[in-house]
Amino acid sequence: MIEWSEQHELIRQTFRRFVEAEIKPNLRELEHGDTPPYAILRKLMATFGIDQVARARFERQIAREKEGEAGPGERAAGPEAADSAAMQLIPVIELCRYCPGMVTALGVSVGLTAAAIMSRGTLRQKERWALPLLTLETIGAWAITEPGSGSDAFGGMKSTARRDGDGGYVLNGSKTFITNGPYADTIVFICKLDEGNEPRERKVLTFVLDKDLPGLTRSRPMLKMGLHSSPTGELFLEDVRVGRERLLGETEDVPARAGAKQTFSQERAGVPAMALGIVSQCLELSVDYARTRVQFGRPIGEFQLIQLKLARMEVARMNLQNLIFRQIEMAGAGKRMTLAEASAAKLYAAQTAMDVALEAVQLFGGNGYMAEFQVEQLCRDAKVLQIYAGTDEIQVSQIARSLLRG
Amino acid sequence: MKILVCVKRVPDPETVIKLTPEGASIVTDNVKWVINPFDEIAIEEALRIKEKAAGTEVVLLSIGQKTAQEQLRTGLAMGADRAILVLTDQVVEPLAVARVIEKLVGTEKPELILMGKQAIDDDSNCAGQMVAELLGWPQATFASKVVLGGDQKGAQVTREVDGGLETLAIPLPAVVTADLRLNEPRYASLPGIMKARKKELKEIPLAELGVDVAPRTRIVKLETPPKRTGGRKVGSVQELVQVLHDEAKVI
Ligand SMILES: Cc1cc2nc3c(=O)[nH]c(=O)nc-3n(C[C@H](O)[C@H](O)[C@H](O)COP(=O)(O)OP(=O)(O)OC[C@H]3O[C@@H](n4cnc5c(N)ncnc54)[C@H](O)[C@@H]3O)c2cc1C
Repeated sequence: MIEWSEQHELIRQTFRRFVEAEIKPNLRELEHGDTPPYAILRKLMATFGIDQVARARFERQIAREKEGEAGPGERAAGPEAADSAAMQLIPVIELCRYCPGMVTALGVSVGLTAAAIMSRGTLRQKERWALPLLTLETIGAWAITEPGSGSDAFGGMKSTARRDGDGGYVLNGSKTFITNGPYADTIVFICKLDEGNEPRERKVLTFVLDKDLPGLTRSRPMLKMGLHSSPTGELFLEDVRVGRERLLGETEDVPARAGAKQTFSQERAGVPAMALGIVSQCLELSVDYARTRVQFGRPIGEFQLIQLKLARMEVARMNLQNLIFRQIEMAGAGKRMTLAEASAAKLYAAQTAMDVALEAVQLFGGNGYMAEFQVEQLCRDAKVLQIYAGTDEIQVSQIARSLLRG
Repeated sequence: MKILVCVKRVPDPETVIKLTPEGASIVTDNVKWVINPFDEIAIEEALRIKEKAAGTEVVLLSIGQKTAQEQLRTGLAMGADRAILVLTDQVVEPLAVARVIEKLVGTEKPELILMGKQAIDDDSNCAGQMVAELLGWPQATFASKVVLGGDQKGAQVTREVDGGLETLAIPLPAVVTADLRLNEPRYASLPGIMKARKKELKEIPLAELGVDVAPRTRIVKLETPPKRTGGRKVGSVQELVQVLHDEAKVI
């Protein structure tokens, strides 16, 4: 793939129109008001028939699994797989031009929470929880981070499950920085099985919780630097009793650590498209401003220092776009990025989005610092890409580890 | 029933239009192109009729350069069944457009032609009327509501006229042109976009139709509207009347 196809362009234009009609005018309310993003996201799903596509894909997958033809998470290769990857990436790019927070809220619900259940749940669990998440009828949260464990997610994890003697479990612990936490209907909760052994040696288990389980409480949305249209919160579990039907996979022997790592990898894979949206928008706004803003009797675009900024932004856009093309090609070939490659892509994309957004603010001068000109929001939003889904530092160490493994 | 919907490729109304140095045309570089908004409303109306009356076929027609494929594909993605593109590089005036449509009606035999009331690029507002005249069909322009008879032999069309609404009962076949409030066009859905790729888009060179499309008019000069200037306060009613008379020359 060397360029977007005519069909991709049609998808892009259609989404852009929706975003400009439905999101752009409501941006202030979404970013600074009390309106959660879900109503607009549901409208988006319904308008473009994404919910129907998701339902049909779910039904095909389940039918194949019932026939025993496909293992969960197995990937079909071919042009349709590439198309379907492009159909997921283009909306992400377009939404991120205005609202990276919406993509985060949507991505965590559909891309992480539903995907975790789809890859390791039983058929019953998929039908009960994953389907409504995939169509966005329900909102999902994926909770691993704790006050004491972030980058070292498993090592420092304190949340526990204890067997209750009747085949069920009692859950305790607290989670923080959980996207959709304050509003989620379904929560994937990752914890350790306490059998009286050393915390570092404990088995990792994953549970699917509903919001109204006794003993589960959650915070209001936390105040943050950016990404305001994605609600983030804390979860507290105090003796939450659950049956075995809530244990993901309904057995203690699913490889939950490997599963969570796969989820990390998926999370990372979404970041280049987000970065491309932010960078494209910053570039477009900057080019426009450089043409029209006049200082010293000339448009500022005639100053070489401004030209350097624009050229660097364009280089960044090209690189990110090529990365997206590779992702689409890989999907077409039925391949997945290795964790090291996903880390490299995520590291580059996150840093690039941050660099470009900061330069855009600079190019706009005082206006760049004002909310009206949008680049300040994209700049605050871009920062999170270097923190969530594994910090830059963690990506670096993952890439290095794979290089040095020998 | 078959509905023919005419679609023109025009600059996005949000685009900032610049004139060429000679001043008789516009700069087309970096212009975003869209379906003429009134034509999009016409497509939507055809699709709504199709949803109610099974067996309805919606055929799109555009006249212009190969690039108009984009707009036709968009219409197909919205849900139209197939499309025809009459290829030409020359400027096609409303009368020529009407003649091409007349010619294609001969082969397509639609029961209803839906068009936008005007194209937002030249705002001529006459192609629909001319088509009706050439075909000898009834016309209902500026439609704000279209109700098809159950027997599909006629339609009731509400039009927006000065000072109110007028409802016409017309027999089919007929020409109806869409006004702004007729409906709100849908977005193409993802499955619609996927299906559009496989739908027929037939291209016919204009020369093959044997229609007289020689231009009857020539654009001498285009001018941008005068820049808006700030308002001004006047001290009294008397002064206002004076200013309106002497400076604005409106009374
Ligand atoms: C907006 C937002 C949404 C989020 N959503 C979710 C969610 O939905 N679900 C969820 O589970 N979590 C979520 N998170 C949490 C996120 O994944 C963590 O914040 C992230 O993994 C970093 O962990 P930490 O905050 O504990 O930082 P720490 O791990 O405490 O890191 C602090 C600093 O130390 C550095 N550091 C740590 N270890 C090393 C090392 N070995 N080598 C070098 N440097 C190191 C880090 O890079 C960082 O600079 C979200 C976070 C944010 C900001």
